Amino acid sequence: MPPVLQSSALSIGYKNGGKTPKVIADQLNLQLSAGEFVCLVGPNGVGKSTLLRTLTGLQPKLAGEIQLSGQKLESYRPRDLANQVSVVLTSPISVGAMRVDELAAMGRFPFTGLFDRMTEHDWEVVHETLRVVGVDKLSHRYVHTLSDGERQKVMIARALAQEPRLLVLDEPTAYLDLPGRVVVMNLLHNLAYGHDKAVLTSTHDLELALRHADRIWLMDDEGRISLGAPEDLVLNGSFAQAFNRAGVLFDPLSGTFDTQNSGSKSVFLEGQGSELIWTRRALHRAGFVVDEEWIPGSPRVCVRPQEGAITWQLEHAGQTNTFSSIYDLLQSLQR
Amino acid sequence: MNQTPNNPMSTQTKRLWLFGLFLLLILGLFLLNLVLGSVSIPLKDIWGSLIGREGVKESWVYIVQNSRLPRVLTAALAGIALSASGLQMQTMFRNPLADPFILGINSGASLGVAIAILGSGFVGGLFLPALNLRGEFSLVLAASIGAGLVLALILLVGRWVQNPTTLLILGLMFGHATGAIVSILVYFSAPERIQAYSIWSFGSFSGVNWTQLNVMAIVVLVGVGLMALLPKGLNALLLGEDYARTMGLNVGLLRFVVLLSASVLSGAVTAFCGPIGFIGVAVPHIARNLFKTSNHKILIPAIILIGAAVSMAASLIAQLPGSQLVLPINVVTSLFGAPFVVWVVLKRKRGATSFNV
Repeated sequence: MPPVLQSSALSIGYKNGGKTPKVIADQLNLQLSAGEFVCLVGPNGVGKSTLLRTLTGLQPKLAGEIQLSGQKLESYRPRDLANQVSVVLTSPISVGAMRVDELAAMGRFPFTGLFDRMTEHDWEVVHETLRVVGVDKLSHRYVHTLSDGERQKVMIARALAQEPRLLVLDEPTAYLDLPGRVVVMNLLHNLAYGHDKAVLTSTHDLELALRHADRIWLMDDEGRISLGAPEDLVLNGSFAQAFNRAGVLFDPLSGTFDTQNSGSKSVFLEGQGSELIWTRRALHRAGFVVDEEWIPGSPRVCVRPQEGAITWQLEHAGQTNTFSSIYDLLQSLQR
Repeated sequence: MNQTPNNPMSTQTKRLWLFGLFLLLILGLFLLNLVLGSVSIPLKDIWGSLIGREGVKESWVYIVQNSRLPRVLTAALAGIALSASGLQMQTMFRNPLADPFILGINSGASLGVAIAILGSGFVGGLFLPALNLRGEFSLVLAASIGAGLVLALILLVGRWVQNPTTLLILGLMFGHATGAIVSILVYFSAPERIQAYSIWSFGSFSGVNWTQLNVMAIVVLVGVGLMALLPKGLNALLLGEDYARTMGLNVGLLRFVVLLSASVLSGAVTAFCGPIGFIGVAVPHIARNLFKTSNHKILIPAIILIGAAVSMAASLIAQLPGSQLVLPINVVTSLFGAPFVVWVVLKRKRGATSFNV
């Protein structure tokens, strides 16, 4: 069985009206199979949306080839293409007064006739997708009364109602709060695993992408794409390379981004567990270099849980003080 | 199922009631438009006058058959056409302020009429020897040519301008340019010709004769018929052209049909009744608010009924029943309509029934 999506020597960008086209990326050889969840990540403005629009046929490619289920993208009639690919786009929709089930039912457009007469089966599909996405309880609510996260889920349900083999999403979590993002990424992961869809999403949530994606397409600002399991890209340094900019560092240990330490004062810290981790973060933010060993003359902080409460002991310049919060500790250190 | 406040059964029943209510309203307004006017004709004689029965005053027969009946039918057709055109423009441009004339159809018609009325002052009354304007066929012709030229231009430009907003700006600029030419004509014209032109620009449902009414009816039927093919496409456009495309719709064709239908409808009204504002922008909002939906399967029949009713009501008020005065239609629609729409819009919850563009 051919992969759901395959591109060879694909070149994307904009035809600049007769002049030389603006190439954003070329020589892209990408592949996506059913049951796979791929996150497309990269800094702002590298052309993630352009790539997604090209792969879904919303924008013409410059060169190369795109195949969907083994057939050239251009050879599909619009309606047949809609049975292969469906999309969720970034911009918040404003459909006015429309019920959730009405909106999701728009996913059946490729299957219904000119006057959009829905069969029993069409409604079954719509209700099933609402259930899969977890918004079946909302189906009679008006879309504009939903939260951003709920609305995005309804848009995913609409896309699923098209019964596509490939689901493409452009930053579906952009307007959501953190729990909302986790829920959506988890949902996408489950759609790939449990429902055998090929799912491709662009996202700025690197930490979530690292956690949920089977594969990452990492695009850098020179139009190159590194492919691989998230962990591979972390270990071979691709992540650090693509995202490191002045003052920001990718920390391969935690999989998170950190500001570069500009501080020069050193401090020695001892302790363990989460107290240690959060105290280190606080000291880091306050501009201290946390040393592995105690250098005589520099402050020494000792954090330990004591009778249910946490205390911080600071030895500095021959004095020893005890604090009951990180805030107080920092105040004293910075004085 | 039934505990949800918005359960589909009750909504559907409510909508059916609303449809029925508007049908009754239209019937009532139709009769009132025949009964009331500068001469009051008793309700019991209306039927007699309509069919020209023996024994009914001849003047009544003449008034009803040749003045009031064509006027109320013109009003209904114009209301339907403007509302249908406005709805399509608002959906296509995803802009609550879009109206039938946003692409400059009325500017084209106005320019045609301005050249006919004002320009004829320079070339020696070539088009309009007299200034008796009501039902003047050359005016209809001039407006039709003007609207038709703009329509052709829109359809042509719409084929290669992909971005709807660009199209919108082009329409606006075109409106300003033609407005400037009209201003030049006005500036250099004799006062009586200027007055004739401004009377046309006030809008009127009177003076459309039966031949013209037949033409108008056919054009409106074609335009509304085209729109009736589009509920699915218009719904898809609510999500934007990108979504519509990925749902397998031919967006280019859809856009062409929308532009064709909307322009033909607004062009027909402007040609026969003058540039009538307000109805086209207001009726779709009234429909969305009353029927609490932006689904075009419901909105299309809704705006047909509401458009006809609003326009017939405006026509009735414009006659100032019992007096010899007749108000311009544009005055009535704006003066009575604007406060109503303000009320409707303020009453609704924010963002509920319009586009929050």
